[in-house]
Amino acid sequence: MNNRILGLLFGACLTMSFDAMAAPVEVTLWHMEQPPHRVARIQEIIDAFNAAHPDIKVKQEPQNWGEVYAKAPAALAAGAGPDMLFAIPDFTPVLKNIGALTSVSDFVGELDKEHHFVKSAVQSYSYDGGIWAVPLYNMAMNLWYRKSVLDAAGLKVPETWSDWKAASEKLSTNGVFGMGLPANKQLYTDQTIYSVMVNGGATEIFNEDGSFRFNNPQTVAALDYYSSLQKLSPPDSTSWTWGEAEACFVSKSCGMIMQFSVISSYDTQGGGDPADLGVAAIPHADGETGHNTIAYANAVMLLSKDDAKRKASEEFVRYLLQPETYGKFLNMEPGLFMPVTEDGAKSESFWSDPMVQKYRSQVETIIANSQNGKLFGFTSGRTFPSIAAVSAQNVIAETLQMIVVGGKTAADAVAAGQDRMVEVAK
Amino acid sequence: MQKSRSLAIVFVAPALIVLTGILGWPLVSAVLLSMQDVRTIGSAGQWIGLHNYQAVLSNQSFWMAVAMSIIWVVANAAAQTALALITALTLNQNFPGVRIVRTWVILTWIVPTVVVVIIWRWLFSTSGGMINPLLAQAGMIDRPIGFFSTPWTAMATLIFINSWRWFPFIALMMLAGLTRIPSDLYEAARIDGANGWRSFTRITWPLLAPTLGVLTVVGTLLSFNVFDIIWLMTAGGPAGGTRTLPIIIYETAFKGYKLSEAATMSVLATILLMAFALLASRTLMREDDR
Amino acid sequence: MKRSLPSSLLLYFSLIVLTLLIGLPFWWVLSGAFKLPQEIIARVPTMVPHSFTLQHFMKLLSGSDYPTYMVNSMIVAVLSTAVTLALAIPAAYAFFRLAFPGREILYRVILLAYAFPSTVVLIPLFGMFAKIGLIDTLAALVIVNVTFALPFSIWMLRSFFASIPKEIEEAAIMDGTPPTIILRRIMIPLIAPGIASVGIFAFISAWTEYVFASVLILSDGKRTVPVGFSGIIGQYQIDWGLLLAGASLAVLPVVILFALVGRWFVSGLTEGAVK
Repeated sequence: MNNRILGLLFGACLTMSFDAMAAPVEVTLWHMEQPPHRVARIQEIIDAFNAAHPDIKVKQEPQNWGEVYAKAPAALAAGAGPDMLFAIPDFTPVLKNIGALTSVSDFVGELDKEHHFVKSAVQSYSYDGGIWAVPLYNMAMNLWYRKSVLDAAGLKVPETWSDWKAASEKLSTNGVFGMGLPANKQLYTDQTIYSVMVNGGATEIFNEDGSFRFNNPQTVAALDYYSSLQKLSPPDSTSWTWGEAEACFVSKSCGMIMQFSVISSYDTQGGGDPADLGVAAIPHADGETGHNTIAYANAVMLLSKDDAKRKASEEFVRYLLQPETYGKFLNMEPGLFMPVTEDGAKSESFWSDPMVQKYRSQVETIIANSQNGKLFGFTSGRTFPSIAAVSAQNVIAETLQMIVVGGKTAADAVAAGQDRMVEVAK
Repeated sequence: MQKSRSLAIVFVAPALIVLTGILGWPLVSAVLLSMQDVRTIGSAGQWIGLHNYQAVLSNQSFWMAVAMSIIWVVANAAAQTALALITALTLNQNFPGVRIVRTWVILTWIVPTVVVVIIWRWLFSTSGGMINPLLAQAGMIDRPIGFFSTPWTAMATLIFINSWRWFPFIALMMLAGLTRIPSDLYEAARIDGANGWRSFTRITWPLLAPTLGVLTVVGTLLSFNVFDIIWLMTAGGPAGGTRTLPIIIYETAFKGYKLSEAATMSVLATILLMAFALLASRTLMREDDR
Repeated sequence: MKRSLPSSLLLYFSLIVLTLLIGLPFWWVLSGAFKLPQEIIARVPTMVPHSFTLQHFMKLLSGSDYPTYMVNSMIVAVLSTAVTLALAIPAAYAFFRLAFPGREILYRVILLAYAFPSTVVLIPLFGMFAKIGLIDTLAALVIVNVTFALPFSIWMLRSFFASIPKEIEEAAIMDGTPPTIILRRIMIPLIAPGIASVGIFAFISAWTEYVFASVLILSDGKRTVPVGFSGIIGQYQIDWGLLLAGASLAVLPVVILFALVGRWFVSGLTEGAVK
């Protein structure tokens, strides 16, 4: 008799525990890191997370940068959007404007206490009384060269704009293009131009009140300099998107280029001798001091309005930023993604990656450079929503094209560029 | 006849339902959108009547895009018709291997656009491409050409690539038309002493005209709306040199976040195309098969 | 009929130009996919590869969902073709043989379907499909493909019907055979080559469709080849070898398909109907 009751109780307990183990909360992550090896690495991390958290099931859907600007708002409007979405600073205002975001300042505060974010990374997402995304990884623009090539030409690493021009000219012999600069109406070109602007005193494109101050003498000087340097680039640089500059450098057709990182392709396609790969901070204008660069703090936006999914997403982000996981996450593309947290920058998982170890000195330089990173539209501690349209339509690059392709003077082009910014911001 | 009518409706209805269902609502929706001020997808908009139309029609960029589109269409039509006609006439001959050539000539059309884009972006690039070194080896140039570096060269290059992709398909359609021409007509002409050119102008051209008519109308419509090749290769650049109407519509909607304005441009483009199609089909598409 | 010398020269000259124009680019891509990275980006490119490697293909197939994309594309293309034919054949016959009000106008109007820029259709369609739960489904792609293939298919099929000698049809009508039977038992078998052509046209159009496939599909597991392939291309760097290998693989299925059925596409067009 007793056994029977025990049996029943046991059965009841089992059933109850089965009920308690309800279906796991499913959350979807959209990101734009589509190359297969990056997708594979993210999947590894997701699998480990799912195993450690049986009540949560994370799923990734890699998306294309070209489409996601259209797709994400459309999907959200149709109720089919993701729970987590990676972003860059100028993509976030778009989603904020359609009401898809709620402030994550509490969550960021909690993470900050534990991991200590790089200030500029959080700043890019802080405005209008809230923080709209959690910083995840950083990318900063650097100047890349081959040490042997500079040595053979008797050149030092350029520090100022005049050094830079002289070096580029000297390296332009025998069919080599001394400096490979893009001049396309595209984000990469925006980035390289702005990297030059921040080193020439033209960092701010907004006034305090949100009006544009793109048209100023420093911007004109910076664009004038850039366009003169661009003359030394290959003829098809007006159609370069993301990879051509790197391909040019790796094939030794370009002496120097600006890029976030060339480590991967240099290693597989360019000879792979770490001792010869040189990276330096972007040269500054002759009157300036210190080196600046453009830095893109990538982040993750939390989109679910459902409480359980929200909590599950937060759990996943917490997991990502743990030093043991974080390094693995960053090294989905070694040398390209830099840590945005203090403990991440020191983590074993980051530095133990074979590629990072192989190119250790280069990675250290990149991290050091990124400390002085800035991003146009997010520099004054205040962010104006109009930056989204300016960035999406590549107005800075468009201005350069007026000079390089359209034959305008820098002064005329910058004035027209300002007008264009005002127009797209309407 | 009653029976025939209801049967006809049964036969035709499914196709018509699909067409009006999938194309009808979006058109209506676009018209509705064009009279509001919706910015990002999903955000609310207010009714502003024909304000967008006024703004768009007085915008210089819109008219430049229209001009670009017309240039695009005309140049493509010329290039493709010429290439296709020569190809079709060639394939209409009898020679060893004609079957194989006829089958495989369409290779450029059966591959996805992204592949076409990759092929030509690689071939025309100055680092690692094939075209520039070949031209240099042949002594035709001493500096590499930036095929996409100026507006005109970019447009010309894109027209070449698009024509390369489409001309075999057009050629086969023409070939279909050519094979319908009875060979006895050519025999009779030859007996009468007509040479190649005369046979062409007196027999081939008139009998091919109906086919050419339809191909022109449909080809123009399809050409006008080509989006993916231009977007993936130049995104409308450099400096707006290849910014046709579909490109500027896409940019306005998804990069400028002005959905209503884009809808307005779409409606205007549709009206333009419909007008052309109606006019052209009346003059060019005569009854060819009765 | 003997061809004159100038005609022959012209013919063979055209053939050579044609072969080079179409074949060379593909040869370069295919041979490039097997070259070592250094040879691909070498400043003086090679016509015939000096090196040989399978690394690009391995990288492509190991890391990506390529097989999945292939399966998806196959499903979508096959279904699109079947539905297009099922709808277009009766419609084409009706336009050809059966009288009903507005027939002529309607026939002209359906070709106007090509007058709409795809962006006009894209977003409202997305909203429409979202409401009926068709986002992120292969069915949505089939519907879109059928829509765009129908007008041209109907036109082609109608012209094939028209090329059948009148007597055959008239005899059947005189016998009092109902139109459905005429269509099924007589007309369709007679234009079988033409149907094959239209089928192949629909298949290829569905296979190469990019714009709608990229927006209507949200999850990776349902992607089709053109979209999946463009995603594999690294965005921050260029791996030419991977790209060329991917291009080769993207071309391969249609080439195989065409090797099997290609001649019917052409013969269908040129013969249209069994004489």
